[in-house]
Amino acid sequence: MSYFVGQGLTAGYGDTEIYAALSFSLEKGETLAILGRSGCGKTTLLKTLAGLHPASAGEVILNGEVLTGREPGRRGILYLYQEPLLFPHLNVFENVAFGLRLRRIVEAEVRTRTNALLEKLELGPPARQMPEQLSGGQKQRVAFGRALNVQPPVLLLDEPFGNLDVETRANMQQLFKTIAREQHISAIFVTHDLKEAVLMGDRLAYMESGQLSTYADLDAFVADPRTGMSREMDFWQTIHLKNAPTDRL
Amino acid sequence: MPVEPRLRRLLLVILLLVFALPFLYLPLLSVSDRWVFPDAWPKRLTLQHWVSAGQLFGSLVYGLSLSLAVSVSATALGFWVSRMLAKHDRRRMLLRLAYLPYAFSPVVYAFCLQYFFYKTALVGTFAGVWLAQLFITFPFCVLVLTPWWSARVFDMENLVYTFGGSAQDAWRRVLLPMARPVLLLCWFQAFLISWFDYGLTSVLGLGRVPTLTVRVFQYIGEANPYVAAASSCLLVLPPLLLLWLNKRALFRVESVSFT
Repeated sequence: MSYFVGQGLTAGYGDTEIYAALSFSLEKGETLAILGRSGCGKTTLLKTLAGLHPASAGEVILNGEVLTGREPGRRGILYLYQEPLLFPHLNVFENVAFGLRLRRIVEAEVRTRTNALLEKLELGPPARQMPEQLSGGQKQRVAFGRALNVQPPVLLLDEPFGNLDVETRANMQQLFKTIAREQHISAIFVTHDLKEAVLMGDRLAYMESGQLSTYADLDAFVADPRTGMSREMDFWQTIHLKNAPTDRL
Repeated sequence: MPVEPRLRRLLLVILLLVFALPFLYLPLLSVSDRWVFPDAWPKRLTLQHWVSAGQLFGSLVYGLSLSLAVSVSATALGFWVSRMLAKHDRRRMLLRLAYLPYAFSPVVYAFCLQYFFYKTALVGTFAGVWLAQLFITFPFCVLVLTPWWSARVFDMENLVYTFGGSAQDAWRRVLLPMARPVLLLCWFQAFLISWFDYGLTSVLGLGRVPTLTVRVFQYIGEANPYVAAASSCLLVLPPLLLLWLNKRALFRVESVSFT
């Protein structure tokens, strides 16, 4: 059985069903990128997996253990919001150390682990700064560091880089790939950005109107016209052809 | 100097004088004796009225106890109820109801409540006036605190849970520290409403709840302006002291709440 599994999941708000009989599986250290338009149910799915929204049917299984009905804090699944949601009354260091403090880990270890992570995230110098003094990219890195510091078995990322500029976004994507590989983090990364989905996912899925389609490989993803991947490739092909004679000159 | 900055400075001085005048006039009046029109200055300065006002020390302590009890309970209750309201489907309608106590003047409101307070033997008691003032301050706290409970705050609370924290952790480590500025503002305003209340306290207190505000009005009624001035100085002292103690937090609140 796969490391992280969702089986026949159904959830909604009141009488409105957001998704039904949805299933997926994820291996340890693997990132599943889910592409989907706004309002297709991506966020509700992640909240259900994290235990923040109830599922009316189906099961969530992590490493063979059924998590359905279990409180969010006892699932070992961390949900990273689109907004960095840094605690405004804590400085960068305390924000990153937050999860360790909740686990009552000894002070020396909190310092060692947090400082090491801050260095890795290039957040050493602003460690004493307050969140309001940070740039958008720095805030997202702090939020990222706060999540990674507790070494969660599964990380759920809800369009975490959506509000960043192109360059910062590219840096954060690279950083995520590196750390996820180093720490063998299993992750579900939802995005509405096609390029980001392809860059971040070891495996790809597409969500539309509460239905999730997972693909065996990139070719299958490209072949599905709903993903828009073939259109995107055609576009760049056209641009390439238009510029081809000029290139030769 | 160009005309416009000069005019602006003059306006600023006039404004400052308007604000400062009561604070200069009241202490002077409180140490005056036989200061009658058209004299520009009192005939004699004396501390005698302050000795008389000193007898109000008991009322000062009594009023402080009442206002602290009212403001602390209204803020705590308001914080809890505003959280419930923020999640409620009929939030807007319920919030409109919170404006109802302000539809009447406090005296009319007090007369509406009087019958029930007589029936429950709450008239003329500390507990009765505490409850009556809570009817005014509690909706105020709900109105101020409900907008604070935004989706972002609930997301932060949920974040604590996904990190493995308990509800106690969420309150102690995130919600209360984050809400501290707005809670301080709310508590301070509730304290002021209670401290300066005359209508409810005099009608439902029946003179047996001797807060400083009620006593000051008695002096004014007795046409003793000098003792009234001395006791008024005492009256503004606690709010000024609180304002000075909390000035950093209160000023920060304004930027948090209104930007």
